[in-house]
Amino acid sequence: MTIQATVDMIEPAPHAATIDRFIENERKKQFRKMLLNRALAAGFGIFVLLAWHIATTGGFVHALIIPSPAATFHATLRVMGADYFWPNVWVTLQEILWGFALGLASGVILGVGVAMFETVRATIYPYLVALQAPPKIVLAPIFITWFGFDMASKIAIAVVMSFFPMFLNTLTGLSSVDPNAVKLMRSLTAGRWKTFRYLLLPNALPIMMAGVKLCWTLAVLGVIVGEFVGASAGIGYLIYAMNFQLDIAGVFSLIIILSLFTLIVYQLIEWLESRVIFWKQL
Amino acid sequence: MSAALIDGQKLSKVYATATGPLVALDNVSFEIKEGEFISLVGPSGCGKSTLLSILGGLEEKSDGTLILAGKHHDAPRPDLGMMFQTSVLFPWRTVRENVRLPGIILGLSAKQQAARCDELLDMVGLNGFGDRYPAELSGGMRQRVALARLLAHDPRVLLMDEPFGALDEFTRETMNVELLRIWEKTRKTVVFVTHNIGEAVFLSDRIFVMTPRPGRLEGIIEVDLPRPRRTDVMRDPRFSELVFDIRRMLGVDH
Repeated sequence: MTIQATVDMIEPAPHAATIDRFIENERKKQFRKMLLNRALAAGFGIFVLLAWHIATTGGFVHALIIPSPAATFHATLRVMGADYFWPNVWVTLQEILWGFALGLASGVILGVGVAMFETVRATIYPYLVALQAPPKIVLAPIFITWFGFDMASKIAIAVVMSFFPMFLNTLTGLSSVDPNAVKLMRSLTAGRWKTFRYLLLPNALPIMMAGVKLCWTLAVLGVIVGEFVGASAGIGYLIYAMNFQLDIAGVFSLIIILSLFTLIVYQLIEWLESRVIFWKQL
Repeated sequence: MSAALIDGQKLSKVYATATGPLVALDNVSFEIKEGEFISLVGPSGCGKSTLLSILGGLEEKSDGTLILAGKHHDAPRPDLGMMFQTSVLFPWRTVRENVRLPGIILGLSAKQQAARCDELLDMVGLNGFGDRYPAELSGGMRQRVALARLLAHDPRVLLMDEPFGALDEFTRETMNVELLRIWEKTRKTVVFVTHNIGEAVFLSDRIFVMTPRPGRLEGIIEVDLPRPRRTDVMRDPRFSELVFDIRRMLGVDH
């Protein structure tokens, strides 16, 4: 105690002040670096917009082929204000959400089944893998024939496209487990259900969440492709129709709206992911 | 009927491999009394981990008889506890939740387990760390949590598979001292696998010296060093004598 006190008396303030100054400097450096990175990203964005603007208004590219940024912006306002816009959005939104939900659910259920039950694996696994061989888009025309021009066919395509990554990631997640953890659970006389509930499922969540993100983007893709092939409503249908009418600015605006929507939900899933697998951030 | 808690007679384990049968354990016989601290020592491939797995009821023996507490033993039982080289803590559970896992799996009273958990965390020197996550702890601290979890359901036999093998030498020594302190308090039967001869001598009542290809029990060394032991027991000439006896038995003296 006395020694400590003496040391404190000899050099208390200068030492602490030096460290404070050092930390302050480090913080400033980090802040400057962060600002620079933001400025670089923003600068590049502005550069692309400017190049786009010059190319389209300077007569380098015909406005029918690529509309100018300003024309795209005006088209976006026009499209979003139109009577036909929201009913079509609503159709596509329902298709995407149904396709995503069903693709996710079937992927998880079959993934769990194949991972947890040897008999299920032996029976259906070879077929599930074989079904992945053809590109799923070839099914789109058949699904239109089978399920009609309405939402059902788009949902079916979205399910078929988004199912597999969810299935595979569930299976992989449930299978990649520390053998000693399995031994531990067995030594505690844990049965199949308790091992699943306390070890396998939480252990699989990080890989499963990666599957959810893939599942989402593929569900959107499936619905839009389905609407291209044959539909009477939806964003994909609008894009197809506007393209046909050479309303390229309209097409651009729809692509931007669709991208923003997909991206926002994607971010939402990532936020959810950080909540669900909180221990990865520790 | 023998007085031994664990009675293994002519235990063998053979694996069918692509290149023919592999004898992992060849005709091993031993008895372990209640409250004994036994170490299994030998180089890799001597069958010590296989023997531990058979004792845990996790692996089937190919031949021989194994009796635990008067009953034939071939499946996991709640009065056994296992610990591994890695802590095998679940990263999504806090320290406290990890220690309470055995109680939850075995359906023990939550109230009792909560009190026991605090007691155990105290015992392994992790008082105040109950709400931390494993990722926030050092390797040595994680093994302390694993040790607390091992004791959570108050098993009669502790089966420990190189539990401190992945720790640095200093942490390993600290953990050995801690383990002895806890063992002296609880007097559990321990079967401890290691390839560190000094560690085995420091901890054990008896050491099963095993040799590889095929895995055999070469001999059993009685450790007659006084208890309770502290690290100064390593200065005892008898300590080095025992270490060298085991080295000779393993044929590692050059």
